[in-house]
Amino acid sequence: MTTTIAIAAAIAIGLSTIAPAIGQGLAASKALEGMARQPEVAGEIRTTMILALAFMEALTIYGLVVAIPLVNKL
Amino acid sequence: MIEKLHSIGISNAMITSTVITLILCAVAVIGGRRIESVPSSKLQNALEAGIEKLYRFFEDIMGEYACRRYFPVVATLFIYILVCNYSGLLPMAGHFPGLAAPTSSINFPMGLAVVVFFATQIVGIRESHGPRFFKHLFQPFAFLFPIMLVEQFVRPLSLTLRLYGNVFGEEAVVSSFFDMVPLGLPLPMQALSILMGFVQALVFSLLAAIYIGEAAHTAEHL
Repeated sequence: MTTTIAIAAAIAIGLSTIAPAIGQGLAASKALEGMARQPEVAGEIRTTMILALAFMEALTIYGLVVAIPLVNKL
Repeated sequence: MIEKLHSIGISNAMITSTVITLILCAVAVIGGRRIESVPSSKLQNALEAGIEKLYRFFEDIMGEYACRRYFPVVATLFIYILVCNYSGLLPMAGHFPGLAAPTSSINFPMGLAVVVFFATQIVGIRESHGPRFFKHLFQPFAFLFPIMLVEQFVRPLSLTLRLYGNVFGEEAVVSSFFDMVPLGLPLPMQALSILMGFVQALVFSLLAAIYIGEAAHTAEHL
């Protein structure tokens, strides 16, 4: 039972980290491209990028919120 | 004294957040005591520069009208959360009685998120002069009403979990690094947490600004 819970916690945080990480990487790379091409709108792009990253970050946090109670059950 | 507070159910996070509130109030009162149009005191100068920078930032997001009216709400959220996040960097935070980063307990972000939720509704009702504001839940199509309603209630939940999860997760990582190698290893993570504390405060107030600005604009177009 303990093993199952440990694996469940690992999967919860692991999967919920991988997907947003890919998404954040894509978003950040595109934003940097945009900033390099048009440095005059860099401030605007940065704000929008941080907002987009925050929404993706939330998914990881959901995984964390699920994983913490599982780890506490061990 | 602190044990006494604990015994009546007042946690470390509550003590720290109250102390931070008092400090911010004191700074604001001292800085705004003798306001001059050409500031001669350094404190007034610094505060004005900071507030102006924030104002320009939020003006881009909320629009001129909404920012002029509701800037105090979002700016207060930003400054308060920023200082609360950074209070977790103080030495012995979390172990010293009466000192813990308020944002690393779930109750604090939840309280702020509830404030944002009600602020959004109140701004909408105020700008559209009555409950006509809730018509926006039925637009653009009436059958989307359940989804729009759920969206309204998911917002405070995701605001809460984002702030709490980030700060708590970061502190958990620092403390587990500290258990592994106490000297040096937690440092890069703490340096990262300076950036993270700022970004999380920015994100929270940014989302609050977007929600409030959106409510003010929806009211215009009903």
